Amino acid sequence: MNKEQLKAQLKQQIIESLNLIGVKPEDIKDDTILFGEELGLDSIDSLELIVLLERKYGIKINDPKEGRKVLIDINTMADFIEQNSSKQN
Amino acid sequence: MLYIHSTSCISAQHTFDDVNFDVLNPVVENKLVAVEPNSNQIPNAVLRRMGKAVRMGIKAALSIVNNQSELKGIIIGTANGGMEDCIKFLNQIIDYDEGTLTPTNFVQSTANNIAAQIGLFTSNKNYNITHVHRGLAFENAVIDAMMLVKEHPNSTFLLGGVDEISTYNYTISLLDGLYKNEEGKNNDLYETETAGSVAGEGAAMFLVNGKKQNAQATLKAIQTIHTTDEITVEANLKDFLATHLADGEKLDLFLSGENGDSRLSKYTKITEKIADITTLRYKHLTGEFPTASALSLWFACNFIETQKVPTNMVKSGSIPTEINTILIYNNYTGIQHSFMLVSR
Repeated sequence: MNKEQLKAQLKQQIIESLNLIGVKPEDIKDDTILFGEELGLDSIDSLELIVLLERKYGIKINDPKEGRKVLIDINTMADFIEQNSSKQN
Repeated sequence: MLYIHSTSCISAQHTFDDVNFDVLNPVVENKLVAVEPNSNQIPNAVLRRMGKAVRMGIKAALSIVNNQSELKGIIIGTANGGMEDCIKFLNQIIDYDEGTLTPTNFVQSTANNIAAQIGLFTSNKNYNITHVHRGLAFENAVIDAMMLVKEHPNSTFLLGGVDEISTYNYTISLLDGLYKNEEGKNNDLYETETAGSVAGEGAAMFLVNGKKQNAQATLKAIQTIHTTDEITVEANLKDFLATHLADGEKLDLFLSGENGDSRLSKYTKITEKIADITTLRYKHLTGEFPTASALSLWFACNFIETQKVPTNMVKSGSIPTEINTILIYNNYTGIQHSFMLVSR
């Protein structure tokens, strides 16, 4: 899977995992800020995304500071997955 | 005595906004799935996390609570709360070997989440409670509301009953014999001589207080019984009517919780005989669920307010020209029974 495919897959997984009503993968740009006004995610969603990374990609985020750097946008998540993934699907 | 001032109902039928009993939504795969109204009162960011029971409860509540900034309390009856989320959460524990679990399903699964979310949406920090006594969950909420209204007659309370069909729980209840194995249609429900009923879900909400003026209906009395003995049901119902019907007052309608389960027909037959008046049924419209009695109270309020009864609910007798007093009987799994007396 190349990086573009990974990003597309990630967008789909985020929509499904967070049940983002009315949001399509194409609505999320690679640099759309996940938390804040653009996509409107909140702290509970950050926990859901951490669990998503663990379940889908086998990556554990134990340090909250690390989470803040990873869960910025699709680009930062995809970079992190590429660097750390043990069971990318 | 509980005076009911506003009501709302979400069910498998057209009971929300434009009430229409003439067009029946059919039973599909032995389920009567509630029709959820659209609501622009709940932000998508919040709505996306809610299970159906929570959504139904909030939508039904907000439709009557909007102008009630001074609610003295929120009293909800639900046997199962967010059962679908509860089972998703339990499955996660197994699937992920008790590892990292997501919070949403857990938060949404708690029974008191419905009343809590209504409290949050209406910024209400007063009394907030959830009764979870299975098939008498709503009735216990009613008893709680009655006691509170007796203490605070000028205060208004939100009273409601909510339950959802959950896929997993449906299967468990099917194996337990609560639902029929064979598929049927709404109107066939009472004709089959087999065990079980059809599954249902819904939410009914009521604004209640101790003020008679402009009330839509009056809940005069309620009684609950735990028994499997129809003779005990018979004796209790006779006593209930003797105690709570005023001198000269007579019943105009009997709203029976008959649900098509052949094992429970002994209770409906005996209660029908005691009521001895035009009998109506509603579970071919709503399906069976632990708080279906909340919907029966909504039906009774609707009949008293409109002075109309849909013909497809009549089991026997003729529709009276004037509807003043209605007896409601419900039983859940033949163990938990309730009577409610509703009048103008």
